[in-house]
Amino acid sequence: MTTMSVAPPVSPPTATELPWTHRCLLGLQGLSCEEIRTLLHTAASFAEVSGRSVKKVPALRGKVVANLFFEDSTRTRLSFTLAAQRLSADVIDLSAAGSSVSKGESTADTARNVEAMGVDALVVRHRSSGAAGLVGAAVRCAVVNAGDGRHEHPTQGLLDIYTLAEAHGRLDRFDLSGLRVAIVGDIVSSRVARSNIAGLTKLGAQVVCVGPATLVPPSLRTLGCAVADDLDAVLGEVDAVNMLRIQFERHEGSGAQGARPAPGGGDAPRGSPAFPSIREYARGYALTAERARRLKPGAIVMHPGPMNRGIEIADEVADGPRSVILRQVRNGLAVRMAALFLCVSASESRA
Amino acid sequence: MSSLLITNARIIDPVSGTDAVGDVAIADGLIAAVAPRRGSNAAGLSRSGAERVIDAEGLILTPGLIDPHVHLREPGGEDAETIATGTAAAVSGGFTSVCCMPNTNPPLDDDSMIEFVYRQAERTAHCRVFPVGAVSIGRKGEELAELMLMAAAGAVGFSDDGDCVASAGLMAKALTYIRPTGLALMQHCQEPSLTRGASMHAGSVATRLGLTGWPRVAEEVIIERDVRLNRAIGCRYHVQHLSSGGSVEIVRRARREGQPVSAEASPHHLLLTHDEVENNGGYWTAAKMNPPLRERADIDAILEGVADGTITVLATDHAPHTPERKAMDFDSAPFGIIGLETALALYIEALVAPGVIDWPRLVAMMTIEPARLCRLDRLDSAGGTVPSAALGLGQLHVGGAGDVTLIDPAMEWTVTPDTLAGRSRNTPFLGRRVRGRAVATIVGGEVRMDRLAERSLPVRAAPAPRPAASV
Repeated sequence: MTTMSVAPPVSPPTATELPWTHRCLLGLQGLSCEEIRTLLHTAASFAEVSGRSVKKVPALRGKVVANLFFEDSTRTRLSFTLAAQRLSADVIDLSAAGSSVSKGESTADTARNVEAMGVDALVVRHRSSGAAGLVGAAVRCAVVNAGDGRHEHPTQGLLDIYTLAEAHGRLDRFDLSGLRVAIVGDIVSSRVARSNIAGLTKLGAQVVCVGPATLVPPSLRTLGCAVADDLDAVLGEVDAVNMLRIQFERHEGSGAQGARPAPGGGDAPRGSPAFPSIREYARGYALTAERARRLKPGAIVMHPGPMNRGIEIADEVADGPRSVILRQVRNGLAVRMAALFLCVSASESRA
Repeated sequence: MSSLLITNARIIDPVSGTDAVGDVAIADGLIAAVAPRRGSNAAGLSRSGAERVIDAEGLILTPGLIDPHVHLREPGGEDAETIATGTAAAVSGGFTSVCCMPNTNPPLDDDSMIEFVYRQAERTAHCRVFPVGAVSIGRKGEELAELMLMAAAGAVGFSDDGDCVASAGLMAKALTYIRPTGLALMQHCQEPSLTRGASMHAGSVATRLGLTGWPRVAEEVIIERDVRLNRAIGCRYHVQHLSSGGSVEIVRRARREGQPVSAEASPHHLLLTHDEVENNGGYWTAAKMNPPLRERADIDAILEGVADGTITVLATDHAPHTPERKAMDFDSAPFGIIGLETALALYIEALVAPGVIDWPRLVAMMTIEPARLCRLDRLDSAGGTVPSAALGLGQLHVGGAGDVTLIDPAMEWTVTPDTLAGRSRNTPFLGRRVRGRAVATIVGGEVRMDRLAERSLPVRAAPAPRPAASV
């Protein structure tokens, strides 16, 4: 890797000064609010790098970050790759297709093998809840969860929180008290929602999950959020709406119009989908231009992507003045730089 | 003529209502005498006449324990367990008979497979093995298997265990067809359309971990439906490994109506909750079980069901799996917990120690009740296929099979991998300190397991210290 950075390196607080001791970032549920703020403050110190002409700091120079993706992803992998490169780390990629994974090697073995090649951090995505923890337990290097099943996607949760704080002027302390956030759509299948709910509530925000009861069951209240089935009743009261994609691939069955077939396929009997049709879903829960007009002044529209334009979000809204969707993408880099930097630092101070 | 005399034991035989200290003699594989009075050797088998005399002072003598629900994995899953290793685990746990479920590969769904189990058991087993036949061909839940031929070959019940007989139409046919055999249909109660992709109890833990929840109602709707279907048919119907408090109520109501309905509990559903899944770093596959571990309220309801006689049978659902398979991610790892070696101690902990039931009732629920369920209690072989040496199981019947278990109720031990005799180690109870253990297992008059040297009495010394649990 070239390390011709002439700009003075930003000096993020050193690991020893920070309340951060985790080698693995598996989720936000298990973190304290101080630890979440450490991640966010570190991200803030890295955010400045993106604006430079030479977008690189030597924080992880000589380190190797491996993307270990057992499930497809383009955007998240690209974001982690760029984040690692901006920290001057080398990056290697392993995706499930065409690898030993398809030859029957276990997740843990694959991870141990990659680690044995001298890797300092693994970025793991897997279709099963808990798989990132499984990898974390199998290796000694840093592990960052890039999404495990329906469990957590902590860097997405952090970048959503960062973007919310940015839009509402809370970057100084990341205190989200008084802010209300609606998360709309397929909550039950969503790791993004779980990370958001955990992080937002720990930092003082109130969260309401909105959608049909099959996607937003009352049991979600045990996570510390409110549950609602009427989007129109909620719209005027929130400071942000986070529109989640319908995850057709995680639903049993696939009867909904336009839905993709269930994963695994085979001869497994199909169940019924969680809602009757996209048309009906959009009628109740799509963020149309008309609905967006009823948002409070200053309220923002978020979407973790990829968007199903015309299903959960209308073009005018996605591209409209309230939309911070591209800011989310940009902030994702800083958040992932922070996650990689802190976890690698913690793994080294432990070694 | 082989003979064995056991003296000074606390004899508990629920069928005869015996709970007294005395002697039991076994000769030629059969019970020769039961003399529940110290020193009165009514059978005339003198000490000098017996080839071996066991002084069972301080021990409980029961009819050989019977587990009506185990998975021996043979054929097809020999890396996890075989008939040989599974029955080694059985005798280690005090069981003299086990009934093995048909979810092998290929499944036990015709008479040749039933005969295979009997033949293989004759060659390799440490205790008696009785196969349960599949209800449907290939356990697919579509067409009836050859139930009559399997009954004639010695199947002791029918079940698609591991899967539910989900179709109401097939269930009605199966109940109607099985009824004349006098055998029980043992149902694995799980409505599949409510549990697709589910890996643990539908509750707060599943919500937190992002795992698909398995609701109680998936079990309850099947029991409710089957009880209703069976009302006009009258087949013997048995609910396997009941996990939900609501299920207890449905079974209680059916039994009150006089329906031939029974139910079994398993140790883990009496002692553990869904919280276990978050132990050991989270997503702990040792606690992944079908049906899933539920909540405290369910445990309380099941205990109540045991106490009031709604639940009559205690089983293990011994379900061995290799460490490689249990090491997979939670969704992919198989369901199951082994149980043969820990069941007795865990049932003592869950039921006898807190006073839910007394010793005689515990013994009944682990001997004569499962024997009745599988018709192993018969005293004559007329019309049956059970060999005469295996008659009268679950009781101390003079002339019946000489199957006896000696239990040291005071022996304390820790469940560690090296205390387990089977091939697999998948249990969330590793490391648990428990009290009570079988110290001798006698099958047909032969001592197949002998741990008498380790007993806590009358040596009155602490049992040999075991190495600390290395989980």
